[in-house]
Amino acid sequence: MSQEKIDILERALKREKAARKAAEKILEDKSRELYLLSEQLKVSNAQLEASVSETSSQLAGVFENIIDAYLVMDLSGNVLSMNDAASELFGYNLEEESLNVSKLIYPEDSKYAHDSFSELIKKGTFSNYTARVYRKNKEVRWVQINASLIYDKSQKPIAAQGIIRDITNQKVFDEKLIESENRLATLILNLDSAILLEDEDRKIVLTNQKFCEIFKIPVEPQFLTGQDCSQAAEQSKNLFKEPEAFITTINQILKEKKQVIGKELVMTDGTILELDFIPIKKGQTYKGHLWTYRDITLNRQYRKSLEAQKEKYSRIIANMNLGLLEVDSDDKILMVNHSFCEMSGYKEEELIGKVGGKLFPIAEDQRIITEENEKRMEGESNSYEIKVTNKQGVPRIWLISGAPNYNLKGEIIGSIGIHLDITELKNLEKQKEAILKELEKSNKELYEYAHIVSHDLKSPLRSIDALISWIKSDNEGKLDEETLQNFSMIESTLETMENLISDILAYSSAGAETGKLETVDLNKTMDNLKRLLLVPTNISMKIPSKMPVVKGDPTKFQQLFQNLLSNAIKFCDKENGIVEIDFIEKPSFYQFSVRDNGIGIKKKYHDRIFKIFHSLNKNKESTGIGLSIVKKIVDLYEGTIWLESEPGEGTTFFFTLKK
Amino acid sequence: MIEVMKMNRTVSLLKAKHEIREAKNAEEALVLLETKENLPDIILLDLNMPKINGIEFLSILKNNPDLRHIPTIILTTSDNRKDILECYRIGISGYILKPLKYEEYVSKIEIALSYWSINELKSA
Repeated sequence: MSQEKIDILERALKREKAARKAAEKILEDKSRELYLLSEQLKVSNAQLEASVSETSSQLAGVFENIIDAYLVMDLSGNVLSMNDAASELFGYNLEEESLNVSKLIYPEDSKYAHDSFSELIKKGTFSNYTARVYRKNKEVRWVQINASLIYDKSQKPIAAQGIIRDITNQKVFDEKLIESENRLATLILNLDSAILLEDEDRKIVLTNQKFCEIFKIPVEPQFLTGQDCSQAAEQSKNLFKEPEAFITTINQILKEKKQVIGKELVMTDGTILELDFIPIKKGQTYKGHLWTYRDITLNRQYRKSLEAQKEKYSRIIANMNLGLLEVDSDDKILMVNHSFCEMSGYKEEELIGKVGGKLFPIAEDQRIITEENEKRMEGESNSYEIKVTNKQGVPRIWLISGAPNYNLKGEIIGSIGIHLDITELKNLEKQKEAILKELEKSNKELYEYAHIVSHDLKSPLRSIDALISWIKSDNEGKLDEETLQNFSMIESTLETMENLISDILAYSSAGAETGKLETVDLNKTMDNLKRLLLVPTNISMKIPSKMPVVKGDPTKFQQLFQNLLSNAIKFCDKENGIVEIDFIEKPSFYQFSVRDNGIGIKKKYHDRIFKIFHSLNKNKESTGIGLSIVKKIVDLYEGTIWLESEPGEGTTFFFTLKK
Repeated sequence: MIEVMKMNRTVSLLKAKHEIREAKNAEEALVLLETKENLPDIILLDLNMPKINGIEFLSILKNNPDLRHIPTIILTTSDNRKDILECYRIGISGYILKPLKYEEYVSKIEIALSYWSINELKSA
């Protein structure tokens, strides 16, 4: 072995030794590093573990402190835990009682709940489950639930957790919204105005019943939604009185796209429409427009007839012959008509603003005006007469009828008086009164005169009778038969004369209206007559047991019956005479009859017997005035008299007396 | 004239002892009555007299305290109801209507006079 070789070998060995040492050192370093690392890892592991448990406890805290209700249950629905919000929501306290979610489910929602649970098991989650639940106190709440399953380490589901939100208030709000939308839709549908809402492409969005009605579209409004309206105006133009003008109007509105209110359109059937056009914009974008048509025909007619009425009444007021005066509550004149100006002699402008009560009445009647005005202010209508002087100072008499004037609120704001000049009427009335008084006086005088005359005429008759009687007694036995006969003829003539004078007196007073309107019981009249009349024994009188009660002068009724009855008695030629009174009641009068079975009256005399001095029998008792008096009395009570008679058989007199 | 004759003749016919004093009108009658001596026992008064009429005269009588007690009987032809009522209102003792027949007249006067004869007012 060469040195060299040895050297080389030695050197190689040395190198080898050094390399191994280095390698050993590296290994040592590495292993020290590894140790440090593993120590570090240990620390960080512990850190990690701590942080995991921290996080999970943090999470639990989050769930517990979450505002929404949170609940964990096993897969049989037994609630394992829930937060305070859930406790409060459902009203259960898990520390006091156990709870299974089936208790919470609202019956109607149970199928939905079941399906949702199946979905949860299958997919692991569900969201936006919305249903009703029962609270412990049976109150129903609307809730929305998002849920997910909880798995163990081997990925097996062991529980479910859910977040529950109480959406009851929101639900109620939503329902109200829907309700009000529905209401609005119904309202529009049934609105008395025609509504047509078009979008920007002139497609119908909404219309209503009235629209179909006015434009005579024979379908329900909901079928029109989506229809194109570009030809609509053209199609319905003939419904309008001026079709072309209608088209022009519509086109112009559409072109301008500006709000139009109250455009009037007249249809061929006379209907008057008022058109509104309202463009709808969202920001600057045109979104469509709303057409509204209102039927204002009635309105217009009312207004027209109101105007016509007003016109009519103002014309009546202006032209009527009565003076009209309107005053305010201070009696200041507000309005007069033409007739009032004529009556008063003033011009309208001289009267407006003046106090009426001071201008016209004469001093003593101003009190009346004040009093009547006060009454009127209390709401009383009245009429009264006053003496006034017109502008020329001529005294006149006015009849005023006044009524309070009210405003729309029913407050008295003055009064309206209607004036009639009754001066002439009053004068006539006065004249009439004077004439009546004079007439009454002269009637009375005439009556007195008749009495005096009859007295004066009767006195000589008495004297003649006395003288004859004296002649007879002074010459007793000296007068022959013929002279005595002549004397007795003079005596009977005197009697006739006396009767005649009495009857004329009776006749002259029979027709005189005494003005007496007493209630006359004819039963009493009959009693009087039975005493007064001398009824021969061969005549039987029949009088109804109950005679009516009439109105008038009792002496006249007595005279009426007395004359008829005494005639009936006087002209009886039968052995058994009958005189019978009877009556019938009619609505407005009584009809009486006096029947006898006496000598009767020939037909040709029937008219003549009622005329004065037409006695058919020339005897001393018949003056021919009795029936004239009867006729006069019947005439006085607006009755009629007639007779039926058969000569030799008897006579019946009929007469009526107004009730 | 004849009325007076009638009365006189009647009284003499009846053989009555009555003294008749006659006044043609109311004024005359008042003069007769004014003396206050020999006041009549009864007065027969006709309503139909000239100047002052019967009713006025009656009122004067009844308003005079010295004369009002004398019974006054109306003897007249007037059967005016108004007059009769007025006379009774003022105060009369009777109302006799003069009949047409003289014989009836005599009998009426006889009855009236004999009635008032029993009444002896003079001494009162």
